[in-house]
Amino acid sequence: MRFLITGVNHRTAPVEVRERLAFDQNSIGAALSDLRACAGISESMILSTCNRVELAVTAEDGVEPSASVDRFLSESRKMQLERIAPHLYHYEDEKAIHHVFRVAASLDSMVVGEPQILGQLKTAYAIAKANGSISGLLDVILTRAFGVAKRVRTETGIGENAVSVSYAAVELAREIFGSLENKKVLIVGAGKMSELAARHLHRSGAKDIYVTNRTYERAQELAGLFKGKIVEYDRFLSTLPEIDILIASSGAPHYILKKTEMRRVIDARKNRPMFLIDIAVPRNIEPSVNEIDNVFLYDIDDLQRVVETNVGERKKRAEHAERIVDEEVERMVGRLRAREIAPTIVSLQEQLEQLRMAEIARMRGKLGPLTPQQEEALDALTRGLINKIAHGPISELRRQAGQPGGIHIIEAIRKVFRLEN
Amino acid sequence: MHDMSIIWLRVAAVLYSLGLVHVLLTVLHRKREGLFRVAIGAFYTGVVLHVVSITELIAVTDRVPANDFYESASLCGLLIALLFLFVYWRYRYEGLAVFTFPLVFLLTLFGELGRPVASWSNPQLRDAWLLVHVVLILLGYAALGLTAVASMLYLVRERQLKRKVPGNISNRLPPLSALDTLMARALSIGFVLITLAVIAGSTWASIEVGTSWIRDPRIVISLLTWALYLVVVFFRITAGWRGRKAAIMVIALVGCSAVTWAAHTGLRTLLSR
Repeated sequence: MRFLITGVNHRTAPVEVRERLAFDQNSIGAALSDLRACAGISESMILSTCNRVELAVTAEDGVEPSASVDRFLSESRKMQLERIAPHLYHYEDEKAIHHVFRVAASLDSMVVGEPQILGQLKTAYAIAKANGSISGLLDVILTRAFGVAKRVRTETGIGENAVSVSYAAVELAREIFGSLENKKVLIVGAGKMSELAARHLHRSGAKDIYVTNRTYERAQELAGLFKGKIVEYDRFLSTLPEIDILIASSGAPHYILKKTEMRRVIDARKNRPMFLIDIAVPRNIEPSVNEIDNVFLYDIDDLQRVVETNVGERKKRAEHAERIVDEEVERMVGRLRAREIAPTIVSLQEQLEQLRMAEIARMRGKLGPLTPQQEEALDALTRGLINKIAHGPISELRRQAGQPGGIHIIEAIRKVFRLEN
Repeated sequence: MHDMSIIWLRVAAVLYSLGLVHVLLTVLHRKREGLFRVAIGAFYTGVVLHVVSITELIAVTDRVPANDFYESASLCGLLIALLFLFVYWRYRYEGLAVFTFPLVFLLTLFGELGRPVASWSNPQLRDAWLLVHVVLILLGYAALGLTAVASMLYLVRERQLKRKVPGNISNRLPPLSALDTLMARALSIGFVLITLAVIAGSTWASIEVGTSWIRDPRIVISLLTWALYLVVVFFRITAGWRGRKAAIMVIALVGCSAVTWAAHTGLRTLLSR
């Protein structure tokens, strides 16, 4: 059995190439069947995301699947092979397993440790499985890949800390409030950044979203996205005491929230904590607001610093993750080798056992009636003999399994002992 | 103290106790509007009887009724009660009741302890009463200890979030709000337990040794600790003191309680007859 991965990712191919190679979700089923129709290919799976397109196939021994997969890709994507080839990578057998494990563990992602890739890989697996394109080796490898991803995640905690500014804001909010359920969010200034942060907060349970903006239309547009309420720009200060999380990103050239005002707000809300996110430049909120008890003010630089630290931390954890992957690959390869030679070992043992039984049956007539002790001795003698004969070939099989050229030795042993296929 | 005067005072104390019950339930987040109306009604009646009690005392002794601790306590309780009623009438400031009701009740209770009731009818009752006091106090301390731990964690966590030291921000400590809630719950439960323990303890001491116990400085320390506790709870409920300020207050309170506890370990002499 051979295992091959052919593909492109964000490092090897520019988006112009990736977008042309991408498969849309609905056409993957048909593509998988076409791919399996290629000579010698037994299983197939296609993973197509915005950052990568990868084809995983297994082929029978002695078949070189690489050329047919390249041809398939070129034909189905209607791109000349010469144009794709410089961007393509091919991984075989052990290297391919290593690659799949790294992809699943999100070590090959653009943002290392991001969680989406595992979900995408699982979807790709589910489609191929439903299509009947996964049945043997590929199933074993992918199932293990999901296990490896989980192990990496729990043992290294690689995905724990936010690595984007808007998500860092959500994590900080969680550090303060715990659950964001029933928390009220006010967005001042309806920019792209604040929209993103609001989206994350909304998804994390903060369903009460208020929007205020100088131009009413834009406020309306943003409020529409989250079923939010609109607050008049001139009066946003008076709604502040009800607000738990404030995202400020207005284009105002001066502070729109000063320390004295904030002090009144926090008194009015009986010191319930407040989280202020100032992503505007120039800043919207007077920095000394952070000195007030129970108020937590983070500006864009603060968030950026959190993100940078998290990225650094992820790099460290990624190194640990790589070691886990290496270890898992080694274990997997060992298992596959054992799987490869197991049928040969079993049939060798069966063959020898049959010969032994036949010989005993043949000799019984000549020996006449035997005492139980004699029966036992005969049994032990013949059994010892076949075990000693089998020992050499079996240890040789174990040694040769998975080695280049090992397949010839296995063939030779099968021939020598007349093992049926 | 005069006989009739003390009877009126006792009835007043019973009426004030409704106010105390209202406050304890409020502290435990079980606010009931109806109960407040009953409590304030009882409070009015209590004040009237309290006035009657003190007037009688003045009529009999012909002096300002502040001759000893007990008379002063009663008078002080009445003055606080009148002040509260004035503020309540003028500004409708209900929140002040959280502070006033327990204080007035306790002062009135002390006032009427100046005339101890008869001694124990049997020793088992005496021991059981004392046991109740000790168990309540210990449970109260446990709750207070929990509050202190939560407060310290809160201070650490708050500092991390305020200083924005990256890398420190996300760690294994629970979120701020969880710590704050834990702090508030434990503080409330502790307050209720310790208030009941103080009432049980002072009643016991009064029956046991008459009037001499109140001058013991160790007792004074414990009463002051309770008063501090009352102040913390009051600010927490009315002014919404939470977070850093509350945490620091709680830690101070635990310090006082530790002193009280240490002082009380030397109080065994009181227990032996």
